[in-house]
Amino acid sequence: MEWVITALLSLWLVLSALCTIFMKNPVHVILAFLSVILAMAGIFLQMKAELLAGLQLIIYAVAIVVFYVLVITVIPWEKVKRFEGIYKQELFWGAPFFLISFLLMSYMVLKGKFAQPLNVISGDNVRDVGKNLFTSYLFPFEVASVILLVAMIGAILLGRKEE
Amino acid sequence: MSVEKFYLILSLFLFLLGFFGILIRKNLITILVSTELMLNGINLAFVSIDKMLGGTDGQVFALFILTVAAAEVAVGLGIIVSIFRLRGYEGSSETVHLRD
Repeated sequence: MEWVITALLSLWLVLSALCTIFMKNPVHVILAFLSVILAMAGIFLQMKAELLAGLQLIIYAVAIVVFYVLVITVIPWEKVKRFEGIYKQELFWGAPFFLISFLLMSYMVLKGKFAQPLNVISGDNVRDVGKNLFTSYLFPFEVASVILLVAMIGAILLGRKEE
Repeated sequence: MSVEKFYLILSLFLFLLGFFGILIRKNLITILVSTELMLNGINLAFVSIDKMLGGTDGQVFALFILTVAAAEVAVGLGIIVSIFRLRGYEGSSETVHLRD
């Protein structure tokens, strides 16, 4: 049963990721990326990372995708249509690189030995992650808030109209 | 092969596909979406290794990656809009002069 859910979710993820790369229209690309996000949230739920699945839905599917759509409505559409498409030469030379590196690294993942399990998990995912976040990782958490503030100010400065 | 190793290979596929998309696409907005695909692949790798080891550190790192992705989208789309407003085009191979 676990492998059936895994196969369905990963098939959905692979198909929508391929659509994200190879579709021409930018709005179709963003909708395919939304499908990638939904499949990722399903995978996180299957791996019992409930907090991350919820945050994935809230931050990616609500905030980031809506922001992309908003920016596409700001830009005039005929100028966007001029540059859609794919570089053929890069596709020709990049595909063997993609295949070789994927096969090499998946061979290494399959043959490699991983570390022994820690088994410190208690079962309640949200409580565990929150306790870890606010004890061991308190300083990076504060730095992340400063990064978000700086990015917000930078986006406002970049996006304003020059007089 | 366990489920976690399968998801690790899937995350590798997602990361390389995002890199490939950055190489081959012409439009700047779709290049930014490919970057998001790479970040999603890294998230999946963190969570699957975390499930393999039984801790919660990887999920905390994935949360930080989510934060960085939000910041990157805000700044990147601001840069795209300002490139478009100042020059009137947004092809990726035409954007080679950064100053004027």
